[in-house]
Amino acid sequence: MNESLLREKIEEYSRFPLRGQLNIVTDTTEFMNIQADDVLELAGNYYLVRGEETEGRFGLDGEPKFWVKKAIDLADGSHKIIKLVFHESFTMRIGSLPIKCFRSPVKEGRILEKTRDDPYFMKGFTIEDSSGNCIRIIDKIQGTRFYDYINNLAQDHEQYFHEHFPEVLQNVIQCVEAIHRLHQAGEVHGDIRNDHIFIERGSRRYIWIDFDYTYEWAENPFGVDLYGLGNILLFTVGKGFHNIPDLNACGPPGIEMRSCLAPGDLSLFFKHRVANLQKLFPYIPNSLNHVLLHFSQGAEVFYETSDELLHDLRVCESDLLPC
Amino acid sequence: MMNKILIAIDLSENSLKAVDYVARMMQCHAAVDVTLLNVIKEPSTDIMPDERERMDYVEQKRSETLGLMEQAARKLTEHEIPEKNVHLKIQICSKPVSVAELILKECEAGSYGTIVVGRRGMSKKEEFLFGSVSNKIVREARDCTVWVVE
Repeated sequence: MNESLLREKIEEYSRFPLRGQLNIVTDTTEFMNIQADDVLELAGNYYLVRGEETEGRFGLDGEPKFWVKKAIDLADGSHKIIKLVFHESFTMRIGSLPIKCFRSPVKEGRILEKTRDDPYFMKGFTIEDSSGNCIRIIDKIQGTRFYDYINNLAQDHEQYFHEHFPEVLQNVIQCVEAIHRLHQAGEVHGDIRNDHIFIERGSRRYIWIDFDYTYEWAENPFGVDLYGLGNILLFTVGKGFHNIPDLNACGPPGIEMRSCLAPGDLSLFFKHRVANLQKLFPYIPNSLNHVLLHFSQGAEVFYETSDELLHDLRVCESDLLPC
Repeated sequence: MMNKILIAIDLSENSLKAVDYVARMMQCHAAVDVTLLNVIKEPSTDIMPDERERMDYVEQKRSETLGLMEQAARKLTEHEIPEKNVHLKIQICSKPVSVAELILKECEAGSYGTIVVGRRGMSKKEEFLFGSVSNKIVREARDCTVWVVE
């Protein structure tokens, strides 16, 4: 594409003409220097950079992720997320437990390829820039983060549980099934969080995003993913997390929630988070509460595979069906 | 009949405790044959993409491990277990495998009567996230005795 055609496409797809010099970038190694209105030329394709993605965790405006660019594909005007190469390793804390975590572009590229035909994972492909960097071109999902969807539901818990939850659970089970397929393919997601599921507008399908985290081998390779799935279940069943200090603050004067909760009722990883949600919401069926208790301090047996978790979740699903 | 014992050791202090225990238990038993097994996990290519770096890592681990295994073997021979009956084995794995499964396979292939493992005393959280080799061996071992030394 020559410069005049590029300018034409930029105006067509961004609705504004490019002012000033056209800056075409073929080597993305110095991703901090790539800015809005630059054009990335990658394997013969042209992408107009619109800015950086932000972390956006927990509904807040987070820090910009300079290695993740929002872009428009100048071939057809479609919106893309372009993930550039940023190798980092850091110590993540799961509750109080430190765990060494690595960001791997190659791992994410491999999963994109393995899940190409699986609609429950974000779609995209990997190409190399002129310096051989492994760049992932991701289709932007139009929709809502699962975290925001649940938090924005206006009903109280009981109404939510009876009216919305059965459908939400069905979708969450489909997400767990997708993770099971990933595990069977010899991969882990690595960063399972309730804001890493997008609910696609239109199809209403729940879709996993962002799987570039990886870890050193452990005896149970799926432990970190199962921990994430446990959090998603607690969040889904509880319509948010329930922590003792918040409950005390909202309860009737003089009532200490701690007095009706034993240590075994609390989350294994977060000492103030309630896992035995049936004690707060007695209409939660035993089968479902039984699943949640696997993630509590009182648990004697843990799920080691997503298959075990799925087996128990399917029982819950049938228990929630109207008689 | 020869008592074949497989001691799975890593670079931890508890592994040496396990060896100590076997040495004391089997002192003066001429009919004992002990294999010290260590598994070195090559870092995944996602974490360490450079092949040379991975090879250097494994070589360094092998050298550290060998030193420790020789120290462990001396503990056994000091307790009069014949040197010819003490064997060292290092397995290097380039794929993410379960160490417990490797130990159990080795046990079956070598017709060992006893597996000995140390236990680090993991917290529940650690066991959830990382899994426990000793717990898995206790749960899945068949046709052999398992000693877990704490």
